[in-house]
Amino acid sequence: MNDRPDPRLQDESRLDAVKRAVEDVAQDAPTLAKIALEAMIREHNPDLSGTADSAGRVGMRSGKVSELTAIARLKPGGAERLQRIFDLTRGNMDGAQRVSTLHDMRFVFFDDNTRILFATAYDGDWDAYINDFATKIPELMDLLFQNVEGWPGIDSPTVKDFIADHQITASGWFVANPQVTVVDTRRLQRTEDAVNTFLDQMAGRTDLDEDTAAALKQLTDTISTPEAVDY
Amino acid sequence: MGVLKELKERFERERVELRLDDIQGLVLRSRPEPYVGAHAMLTVEEAEGGRDFVRRLAEHVTSAQDWADDLQSWTGVAISYAGLRALGLPEDSLASFPLPYQQGMAARAQQLMDTGPNAPEHWDEAFTQDACHIALTIYAADADALDAALDQAKEVLEHSTGVTLVATHRFGVDELNKNPFGFRDSISQPTVAGSGVRPQPGQERSISAGEFILGENSETGSPLAVPQPDVLGRNGTYVVLRKFASRVGAFNEYLASQSPDPEEQHRIAAKMFGRWRSGAPLVLSPDHDDKELGNDPERRNDFTFEDDPKGLMCPHSSHMRRLNPRDSDLSIMTDVNIKRIIRRSSTYGPGWSPEVTSADDAKEDRGIYFIFISARAFDTIEFMQQEWINGGNFVDLGSERDPIVGLHEDDPTQGRFTIPAEPARKRIDGITTFNRMAGGEYLFMPSLSALRWIGEGGWTSDQSGAEA
Repeated sequence: MNDRPDPRLQDESRLDAVKRAVEDVAQDAPTLAKIALEAMIREHNPDLSGTADSAGRVGMRSGKVSELTAIARLKPGGAERLQRIFDLTRGNMDGAQRVSTLHDMRFVFFDDNTRILFATAYDGDWDAYINDFATKIPELMDLLFQNVEGWPGIDSPTVKDFIADHQITASGWFVANPQVTVVDTRRLQRTEDAVNTFLDQMAGRTDLDEDTAAALKQLTDTISTPEAVDY
Repeated sequence: MGVLKELKERFERERVELRLDDIQGLVLRSRPEPYVGAHAMLTVEEAEGGRDFVRRLAEHVTSAQDWADDLQSWTGVAISYAGLRALGLPEDSLASFPLPYQQGMAARAQQLMDTGPNAPEHWDEAFTQDACHIALTIYAADADALDAALDQAKEVLEHSTGVTLVATHRFGVDELNKNPFGFRDSISQPTVAGSGVRPQPGQERSISAGEFILGENSETGSPLAVPQPDVLGRNGTYVVLRKFASRVGAFNEYLASQSPDPEEQHRIAAKMFGRWRSGAPLVLSPDHDDKELGNDPERRNDFTFEDDPKGLMCPHSSHMRRLNPRDSDLSIMTDVNIKRIIRRSSTYGPGWSPEVTSADDAKEDRGIYFIFISARAFDTIEFMQQEWINGGNFVDLGSERDPIVGLHEDDPTQGRFTIPAEPARKRIDGITTFNRMAGGEYLFMPSLSALRWIGEGGWTSDQSGAEA
């Protein structure tokens, strides 16, 4: 068991004290200043805090989650071809799901379908797995991006430069769960199911030894109070 | 010479597809056990003198032509970006190298997660003064052969101007090839397709030559970027050099804090490494060391993780399984075949004993020159540092880090290591940084024709570098 206390509890009294100080000082200051100050205070909570780091070469990163925003010109008919792919897959892109670092992907056509905005949230550094895309899912990558003007092909030595050249680093980047990766989320889902099955098996048991009963109560105490999501 | 003998038996001349006479022998040639060797670091202060040095040195650099044969000694040369610049290479050539190489290892500290005690400001002076221009390595079968090769290199240097010797380092291993922690090292090596060798037992297939030799087809089916002009880049490769000071005393004391029983300490250490001290892998000998297995090059690497999906024998978080997951199911889509490396590490300092204490660590007199070769060397080390060493996401272990080479100063898990077991996994914590980074550089290992081209200032006579 991880016996570290919830870092929010640890900081609560300090947080309250600083909050009062912030409110005293900032009574007449713009709301924005308060938000900024409170955000600074929150950096002390390691499990919840986001950061404003770089994702490597381009893009911003908060905790473990990075953003990639790219704008590119589409080849003639590119928007229509892409739309057919999206309609066929209905948001269920098999190869992309296998990647397991992509939280989401967004494709937006604009300027009369001549340009595309591609935005994604992903785990880790900018180019950690791009080489793997080129050998594991080259067909999917090329199917999607060959509709973009100038796409050199995922196995081209220049593909990283091509992507970086079309990227625009976000000015602001906010992540609700900056320390939780896509892989973590899947494990947490699995773990919840497993914990519930375990609790089903243990519910009503009166024959447990003292240590087991105490451990079980501790588990129940930790997860039984509904908690608001506090950014 | 078990390893080399065994290699020779699997070598067949008619299987060769590579330009062996142009590739540096050090790339393909496995070292015998025992062997001796020396590294030298040189700085180029004046371009013309530096080129003359490279030109004459090139005559002594061994090609891979007869790489499976016995040799008394062989010499390899690698050059940093600062070195190529000091040698006066034209700008368009310099710009054709990968960005991380152009920036150099110290400037890539963020991507390499070289922070805290591993940050460049704490590196050995030799690596921080922009002095690592040319790295020379000699391997030899015995001390006499090494001396003869060193004398040759010294003579080349003595007749040179504008080149300074910054540092030298001699090393050697006996037939047990132990790292500073007392574990047999450098066991698993990839097989390079087209080099003429059948894969060793435990390697399911050979890896495309372009993963190691620039200009050949890589695992994508086409070549990676080749520095220009072709004569410069083709048949060359890249080298990552990272010097570590090993905190063997801290490691010993950590094990002692986990158990007073020496056998149990060996077992925990083996769980952290993935092999026993003899080199016997945990999946072939889960409960105790097996020296005979560890000494047998035919058997000690002949395994997969197929029968250990839960890591009950070899933990997912162990050093060996992290850095070479083989057929393990990973939680992130990964091509392990593009992350293989040809390992040419060497150790320094006294051998391991359980009596070494953390007070001894202060001397920083023992450790490893972690050296490897790959055509993707910079992408690979940055990937490994971020994903496989200083994280656990790829094996569903959140932020857990490598227990042996991970950096544990900013470790969000505070040095945790998960040992799968039934009915419940065991977690130990409080692991500290057992290997501190003491310096390193990104290097280019040119072909023999590229060394001659550099030595002769080839760009001054052809169209590729008109401005020079």
